[in-house]
Amino acid sequence: MTRAIAAQLVLSLRRQRTFLALLVTLLVMTALAGVIGWISHRTIIKVYDEAVALLATTGTPAPPNPFDTKPTLALLSNMVIYIPLIGALMALVLGHLSMADDQSSGIGRLIFSRQVSRRSYVTGKMLGAFTVLTVIMAASLLVSVASLLIVNGAVLSAPDFARLVLFYVISLLYLTAFALIGMVTVLLTRRRSMGLLLALGVWLVLTFAVPQFTSGLRPTASLNPITDPVSTSQTFFDITATGRPISVSEQYKEASTRVLEIGIPEPGSATAWRVLPIGGLVLILGALTALLVNRHDYSRSSVNE
Amino acid sequence: MPEPAVEMQGVSHRYGSAQVLREIDLTIEHGEIFGFLGHNGAGKTTAINILTTLLVPSSGNARVCGHDVVADRSKVTEVIGYLPSDVRLYDHMTASENLEFFAKLSGVSDPRKAAADTLDYLESSELGPRRMSTFSTGMRQRIGIAQAIVHRPRVLFLDEPTSGLDPTGVRQLRQTILRLNSELGMTVFMNTHLLSEVSRVCTTIGVLNHGELIYKDSMAKTTERFPDEASLEDIYDRMEGRPS
Repeated sequence: MTRAIAAQLVLSLRRQRTFLALLVTLLVMTALAGVIGWISHRTIIKVYDEAVALLATTGTPAPPNPFDTKPTLALLSNMVIYIPLIGALMALVLGHLSMADDQSSGIGRLIFSRQVSRRSYVTGKMLGAFTVLTVIMAASLLVSVASLLIVNGAVLSAPDFARLVLFYVISLLYLTAFALIGMVTVLLTRRRSMGLLLALGVWLVLTFAVPQFTSGLRPTASLNPITDPVSTSQTFFDITATGRPISVSEQYKEASTRVLEIGIPEPGSATAWRVLPIGGLVLILGALTALLVNRHDYSRSSVNE
Repeated sequence: MPEPAVEMQGVSHRYGSAQVLREIDLTIEHGEIFGFLGHNGAGKTTAINILTTLLVPSSGNARVCGHDVVADRSKVTEVIGYLPSDVRLYDHMTASENLEFFAKLSGVSDPRKAAADTLDYLESSELGPRRMSTFSTGMRQRIGIAQAIVHRPRVLFLDEPTSGLDPTGVRQLRQTILRLNSELGMTVFMNTHLLSEVSRVCTTIGVLNHGELIYKDSMAKTTERFPDEASLEDIYDRMEGRPS
């Protein structure tokens, strides 16, 4: 039963235009991330070369180019922004669509008048959603590798490839949380449109509001994966900073920048601790989804919405 | 002696403070086509929800083919088919894909063949490759019935199956119900408002009034019992205490 439900979800998602539009957008932006990173890098090098030429006219020796040592994966730094923006939105829609028809169109009544337990149903839905997200992240990985190959003209080294895989594994975990939010919100509301609005509200809070409160007050923007330029000692900032570990959006960005070698290096264990809140959120949301499905009254529907 | 197709003993149900079903005692034998009559809100759909295991009754026992709807839920779902009043399937999938999906959920060994055979049986094979989103109400209803019988259940529950259908659709549905009963031996439990259809299709009727079963007998005995009434509409009005 679990496999049948998962397979149905995969088939249905392949034909949902809203979901496909978001998926295409994500893949296009993934391809562009490498190109944008490369153009940005070339611009910096060009400015450096012009500065060197200017210094040479005055007889001043130029310092060595600091950007020559920039890690290859740093070219993909924009992905750290695209995943919480486009990827999370896509995952949210995926989670919403996976439950909405059964919950609001009355198909759940047909499903549960058959030999389907609530457990196998919710497991099938989660398995289907996770499978789709895994395939998308695998496709994004390939697009990223191809994009770097084209702009850099060189194949990724094995350690860099491993880091890129790790980045997409963390992204998969992050997107799973948002797919589950899409499921939970549709189960909490009787009207599917309200479910989607609620899901978007949660996405806005997690992506923009919470980071603003926990560390967005510092000069860096909530989406910008740049660490504190200066350490703040004011009590207010100290208090708001204590909430940072539970800000999954920030933890994702911080962990991802370390994996892609963009941010200030830190021990691997510290990066692993940053992923922990995301994993915790996935577990909590998974349990909540199972609980809500178990308690949901599928004998009613809101087909006339 | 085989267990009855449907058996309800003292079944009551309430939603919050609203008592929807009151001490329903009802037995339907195999092979019958049972018409469950009652005004809107009488509790007909609640009764079907209980018998299809979607709802646990507040009190009392209900059995389908001898299996308790609460304790033996899994066995009940093996032997029943269900068509809700406002049938909707997955719009992004074709009729065949929908039927295969529901056949899989019913544990059918060859879902693809079962879906094709069912469409063929209902003379609707041409609908198989088309997406549900392109269907009219009548077409949806046909595929709705197909999903309800794709696993060849012993008892078929139909909740207001004629709602939204045009006269042709109603006639086709009537013929389908009679065929399912006579050719496949399915017992049919049908909630309906259309008394004209009940008199043409059903072998037994029951009348539910404000959650209470006020009448149950065969169609033949019903017409014998009310010789002065010209139609089932008149009989129904008299049962509900209205002047005919």
